[in-house]
Amino acid sequence: MSPHEKSWQRLVEAARKARPSGDESAPYGFSTRVAALAFEHSRPAPSFGRLAFRAAGVACLLALVAVGLNYSAITGAFEDDSAVAATDDPVSEVVNLGS
Amino acid sequence: MPDDQSFDLAGCLDRVRKRDQIAARELVEHLHPLVIRIVRAHLPRRVSEEDLAQDIFLKMFTRIDQYQGSVPFTHWVSRIAVTTCIDQLRAQKRRPELRWADLSERETDVLDSVITNENDVAPDDALAARELVGKLLDQLKPEDRLVIQYLDLEQKSVAEISQLTGWNQTLVKVRAFRARRKLQRFYRDLIEKEKP
Repeated sequence: MSPHEKSWQRLVEAARKARPSGDESAPYGFSTRVAALAFEHSRPAPSFGRLAFRAAGVACLLALVAVGLNYSAITGAFEDDSAVAATDDPVSEVVNLGS
Repeated sequence: MPDDQSFDLAGCLDRVRKRDQIAARELVEHLHPLVIRIVRAHLPRRVSEEDLAQDIFLKMFTRIDQYQGSVPFTHWVSRIAVTTCIDQLRAQKRRPELRWADLSERETDVLDSVITNENDVAPDDALAARELVGKLLDQLKPEDRLVIQYLDLEQKSVAEISQLTGWNQTLVKVRAFRARRKLQRFYRDLIEKEKP
């Protein structure tokens, strides 16, 4: 063994005697933070079916709101149509002429 | 402690897979000593040990469904820890050449002592010796550094290193041989070329 190898061995032996530094237990709050981050990172992505179901729900809600907001306009349009039918119907006019 | 027999690791893993946050916290606390020892042994410069430990645990949770039980869970976690440390060391790329002027007064005293004296280094100088060895190891590639750290400083067997790293035993021996040769060259250069 060369002198350098011998001195290296002595150096390594001395280094081995150094005590490991610091406390090995987890610092306060570390495990809580890591667990929260882990589940946040690993939250499963919503499936296509679930997304489609949510979209259908939102679409139904929007349709109901639209009907609610335009209710008077819709019923008014039906009433106008019946009035027009009563006055402009050629059959009723012919019947009226005959009577 | 990872060796604690009272800890129900299998039960805890089952609960973690069901996304039980309390079980995840227990697992982190149980494995922290193991992970922090690996981090401290291979800590890259300018990287916080807590940040590195957190990265290791997050990787562990991300891959926990891949754990099949073919190796002990602590070995599986050790491999993640070792790989993460090596990746961090690789990211730093630059491995500074060690010069005599970079050594502290205590470290030069230790080096003088091991070169000139046949006697052991004083126990008070053990920490300086460890820091000096660490500086010499910093010049090696991360994988080489790890092998020497485990073999020479922690006195682990080739089989143990193989289990901890996932490298086969032949690879460990080859890396150890090459790493020792490089380290001897760095050490010789420091003493012959740099020593005033």
